[in-house]
Amino acid sequence: MYKGIEASRGIGIGSICLITEHDLSFDSKPVADKDAEKARFNDAIEKFKAETAEMAENIRKNIGPKEAEIMEGHLAMIADPTMAGEMTKMIEAGQCAEAAVTAVCDMFIGMFSKMEDDMMRQRASDISDIKISLLKILLGVEDVDISKVAPGTVLVAHDLTPSMTSQIVKENVVGIITEVGGKTSHSAILARALEIPAVLSIPNICEIVKDKDTAIVDGTEGDVYINPDGDVISQYVIKREEFIRAQAELKNFVGKATLTADGKEVELFCNIGTPKDAKKAIECDGEGIGLFRSEFLFMDKPHLPTEDEQFEAYKEAVETMSGKTVIIRTLDIGGDKEIPYMNLEKEENPFLGYRAVRYCLANTDIYKTQLRGILRASAFGTVKIMVPLVTCVDEIRAVKALVEECKMELTNEGISFDPSIQVGCMIETAAASLIADMLAKEADFFSIGTNDLTQYTMSVDRGNAKVAYLYSAFQPAVLRSIKNIIAAANEAGIPVGMCGEAAADPLMIPLLISFGLDEYSVNPVLVLTARAIISKWSKADADALAEKVLSLSTEKEIVELLKASAK
Amino acid sequence: MVSKVVKVTNEQGLHMRPATVFSAAVTPFDSDVKILFNGNQYDGKSVMMLMAACIKCGAEIEIQADGPDEEAALAKAVELVESGLGD
Repeated sequence: MYKGIEASRGIGIGSICLITEHDLSFDSKPVADKDAEKARFNDAIEKFKAETAEMAENIRKNIGPKEAEIMEGHLAMIADPTMAGEMTKMIEAGQCAEAAVTAVCDMFIGMFSKMEDDMMRQRASDISDIKISLLKILLGVEDVDISKVAPGTVLVAHDLTPSMTSQIVKENVVGIITEVGGKTSHSAILARALEIPAVLSIPNICEIVKDKDTAIVDGTEGDVYINPDGDVISQYVIKREEFIRAQAELKNFVGKATLTADGKEVELFCNIGTPKDAKKAIECDGEGIGLFRSEFLFMDKPHLPTEDEQFEAYKEAVETMSGKTVIIRTLDIGGDKEIPYMNLEKEENPFLGYRAVRYCLANTDIYKTQLRGILRASAFGTVKIMVPLVTCVDEIRAVKALVEECKMELTNEGISFDPSIQVGCMIETAAASLIADMLAKEADFFSIGTNDLTQYTMSVDRGNAKVAYLYSAFQPAVLRSIKNIIAAANEAGIPVGMCGEAAADPLMIPLLISFGLDEYSVNPVLVLTARAIISKWSKADADALAEKVLSLSTEKEIVELLKASAK
Repeated sequence: MVSKVVKVTNEQGLHMRPATVFSAAVTPFDSDVKILFNGNQYDGKSVMMLMAACIKCGAEIEIQADGPDEEAALAKAVELVESGLGD
């Protein structure tokens, strides 16, 4: 088995078509007839433009306009006076066309590959693609015609250039394997757009395989098998069926409300870390933002973000969500995160120290800047404020008083905001769980942060491999805590959500349905999966399972029962 | 020769698409259009050179136009950059 980068999900089983690298070496001796050489070069450029325009058209038709931009970019680059122009100058100086193409392209490849910006570095591979295409035309080298491969083909190549990808017939290619490329490379983007399983970056795979070898491409896990035995194949045939069925099933949930099997509607939100992620939440069919981490604003800059900078970032997310709820968690930092300009001291126990709301309440100038930014953004949609690491009632009261102060200031300055903005507690400490009933009287909503709740309840650092086995949200202590928190919120009539990883865990979901959770906030890519699982459980079935689970006293028994009961 | 300093406002700076938009818009002018950034000069009609300049959002650039239709070329270039280059 070979391990690579999982670039496009799904399972492909088929026969290999190896796309070999061509010998593009040439004899670079000076040419005598410069005009003839220029004509040969110009013909090659015209042919390149025609081929590239045709590929762009193919991609636009078969994949989409956004993907076609890659080829259009190639056209814009070759039309550039510094590209063809420089090449022509070199030919006029006596160089052969191949040498001119190579020299100019290599100059630009060198320039772009040194840049810090990821998108600019990607240009280096575009130019390399252009160079290879031009050399092939000049040297008269013919490519394997990918559009003619037989059904059930697994393509294996050093790199899949956009020009190759544009010829792929989706029905015939079942998998893609390459030696280079990452999750954001052109080949990965195009493979995902075509929904063809792809594993990239397997070193020397072109030397390992030959044409007609059988290959399994597991684009979900990043695994590749070459000429596997019958058992492995039949195992993967089943996996492939399961994947296809699950995908088809998930598509049925696009645009639907999130309902339990007995028709109770719950909210299915997304966790995001930057304003841009809000677009992803929408694309993935999220119904709101249950956790917008605000730390990125503080970590990406050499200084504290200004009120305006924060306002713009929050507003961008809020406007993207167009009216749907956006819950912004206020600054959640401490001595374990390096933010140089904040001068946070290294602490012996950073997780028990000066962090999150504790830091914010001691630095009200910094906190009020953030609260004002959030309040101003609340004029553009539905915004809620979530306070992290609450351990006592005083903290939520103090935050609410600061929010009121900011509201007064904004009113006096004539700046608009949502006057009825909700302020809620993130429940992620053992203390908050134990006084959930008291906090529920102060807070407008709860959101359970299961990652920290597990860590603080079990007193375990999950980063420490020696004790990480204790870190599980299925420990009886954590489950009781979650049940208690949800019950307190239900009792007080305030909404309660969950924004930890557990909210999307298929084993946890039935328990949350039984406990009465109102809002599930998950990674955007898990929205449809979570919606599908929620749809399988009725309150009665979930209650019956939860009752049994709560009578068990070890995590192992609980997980075993939940796995055996999974739908 | 005329020139003006403007601020690049589109989010990703002068990457592929904005650079293409810019060069395509100034190419029809007879005047030379140059961009001065970080002490270097870049040909405004060249997508490659514009991208190579690695101009990020928030950067201040000086646009220079020199030739028979320099006023119109500069006005067009400034308008484009200020409107976010179609991003």
